[in-house]
This record gives sequence, structure tokens and C-alpha cells, in this order.
Amino acid sequence: MASPAAPQPKLQKVMVAVDESECSHHALEWALRNLAASIAPPLLVITVQPLLPLGYVSAASFGSPLGIPVVAPELIKSMQEQQQQLSQALIDKANQICAQHGVAVETMIKTGDPKEMICEAAEESRVDLLIVGSHSRGPVQRLFLGSVSNYCMHHCKCPVLVVKKQGRIGWYSDN
Amino acid sequence: MEGKSATASGEAGAVVAGMKVVVAVDASEESLNALTWALDSVIAPRSGAGVSVVVVHAQPGPDHFVYPVAAHGIAITYSPTSAIESMRKAQEEISRKVSATGAIVEGDAKEAICQAVEEMHADLLILGSRGLGKIKRAFLGSVSDYLVHHACCPVLVVKPTKAHDK
Repeated sequence: MASPAAPQPKLQKVMVAVDESECSHHALEWALRNLAASIAPPLLVITVQPLLPLGYVSAASFGSPLGIPVVAPELIKSMQEQQQQLSQALIDKANQICAQHGVAVETMIKTGDPKEMICEAAEESRVDLLIVGSHSRGPVQRLFLGSVSNYCMHHCKCPVLVVKKQGRIGWYSDN
Repeated sequence: MEGKSATASGEAGAVVAGMKVVVAVDASEESLNALTWALDSVIAPRSGAGVSVVVVHAQPGPDHFVYPVAAHGIAITYSPTSAIESMRKAQEEISRKVSATGAIVEGDAKEAICQAVEEMHADLLILGSRGLGKIKRAFLGSVSDYLVHHACCPVLVVKPTKAHDK
């Protein structure tokens, strides 16, 4: 085997999926703290912005006086910009966290259904390990798993690491 | 026969910074592959920084009829020797690379592993999944599925890779 003096990181490509949830940033930090030795830089960080709920936007204009739903293009544009700003902010935050740990990072922003896009990106990039948080929104409950992480667990061919926030502290024990 | 696991393995030095990794194995080849993957990718690179490994063998329930490990040619429903056999194989794998302790848990595999992980205050649980073929791709093995939902620590599931196309 390789010389025991300097173990080489074996995971050439590790991808972490982040979204606006604290859970995913916790997952990123956990990975940087605990798996830094195993990860060969750069770490891939992906965030997926969901498609704009244009259905809602159309519905909002049903009350227009002419009876014709008019979707203001400015509204759509401002929603898109806001979405992009949000994604960029997430990426910036991830960059910051990685910089704190001294790990080089490569980021990507995709648009679409988060769970599918993450799995697709993981396959395209042929990652060795995909890391996801356990929930995207709502309080962390020990017995449930968010839909994105659940989907990734089942559909990604690569090893998947699901990082939960530690549920022991402050939650009821169901032992 | 392996005894119950000790919380401190033979690792020298900083237990404070050390990470406790529990790898759950059973008699299947996928879980041994998962163990090998874990050793190569996660544990070995970290061995400088301190990592303790516990290999937990879960004795599958009596509904498993065919054991690849059983050499008798007869379908054996419940064989304690297979546990020892797979532990031995696991230990062989590991002892080449890093020191570890082993444990055998009995009873309902998923609950037993879950409880063991909690008692040991594991930092990470690694396990294989049976990967029940293309049609049943929607389902992971029920043990891995349960553990991902219920374990108190991060869980890493290693899927069987049919073709290593690296």
C-alpha cells in the first residue's frame, strides 16, 4: 500500500449540496471539519434554485380589470433576479465557510427541481461522495428525512452522506 | 467470538480530536465493500488526526435463508458462525490498515445498530446497502433506510457499484 507517512486523500471529487437551510450549511461545515483529510480539493458545492412558481404569478393577476391574466414581465424579471441573488448569497456563504477551513472550492448554480438536478450533477461530475443535509426547511425532526436527501439517497449511484443536525440535544427522546 | 465493543480502541493520543466511525456489516458482500471503501476513503486519510473504528456486525433475522458465507451447501436460516466469519473477514481487511474494535449486536438489526451507534456516541455511521436491482431501485435495503432516518449521527450509505468504471 502507499507509504504510511502521508496518506493521500482518496475522494477525488466530493460534492456538497447547499440551499437556504441551516441544515445544509451544517452539513458543509461538518464535512470540512471531519472529512478534510479525505477530500482532495477542490470541493464541489452546488446549489439548485427551484424553477419560478410562475403559476402563482399568473394567478395573482386574475383580478385584473380586463379579465385577461396579465403577467407583468417586470414582476417575473424581478423574481428571477431575486432568485439569482439568493443563490449567489448561498454560494458566497459556502465560499466563506470553505475559506475559513482553508479548502478550495468550486461552485455551481443550477436551476430546476433540486433533487433531480443534484443527482444529475453528481453523476455528470462523477463524484465519489455526495453530501447533503437532511432537511431543507422546517424544524429538524429525528424521524423524518427531507424529500431531497431522501431522493438522493435512493437515486444517486455514488455514496451519499446525510448529515443531520445532532438531534440529541433539546429534543424529546423516544427511546 | 468478539465481545462487546470498548469505547476506546488502541488508538494512541488525542481522543479529543478523534472521530469515532462505526461501520455496520453483515454477511453480505456489499457491506464488506462498504467497509473497504470506508477504510480507503475516509478512515485511512484521517488516521493521522485520530480516528477510532468500530465494526458492528448485525445478525440478520431468521428470514434470511441463503448465506453466501455458509459453506455447507444447505440453506441455513440462522447461523452464528456466519457472524464470526464476516467479522473475521472484516478484521482482516481492517487490521491491514488501522486498528479497530468489533462488536456483534443481536436482535433486530436496524434497531440494534441504531442503539449501538447512540450508546457509542458515534460521529459517523457507514454502511452498505443491498441495492435491490434496477426495478427496486426505489428502495434501499430496509436496514439502511431505517438507519438513515433514525440514527443520531451522520450516515453514509455506500451503494454497490456494479461496474467500477474509473
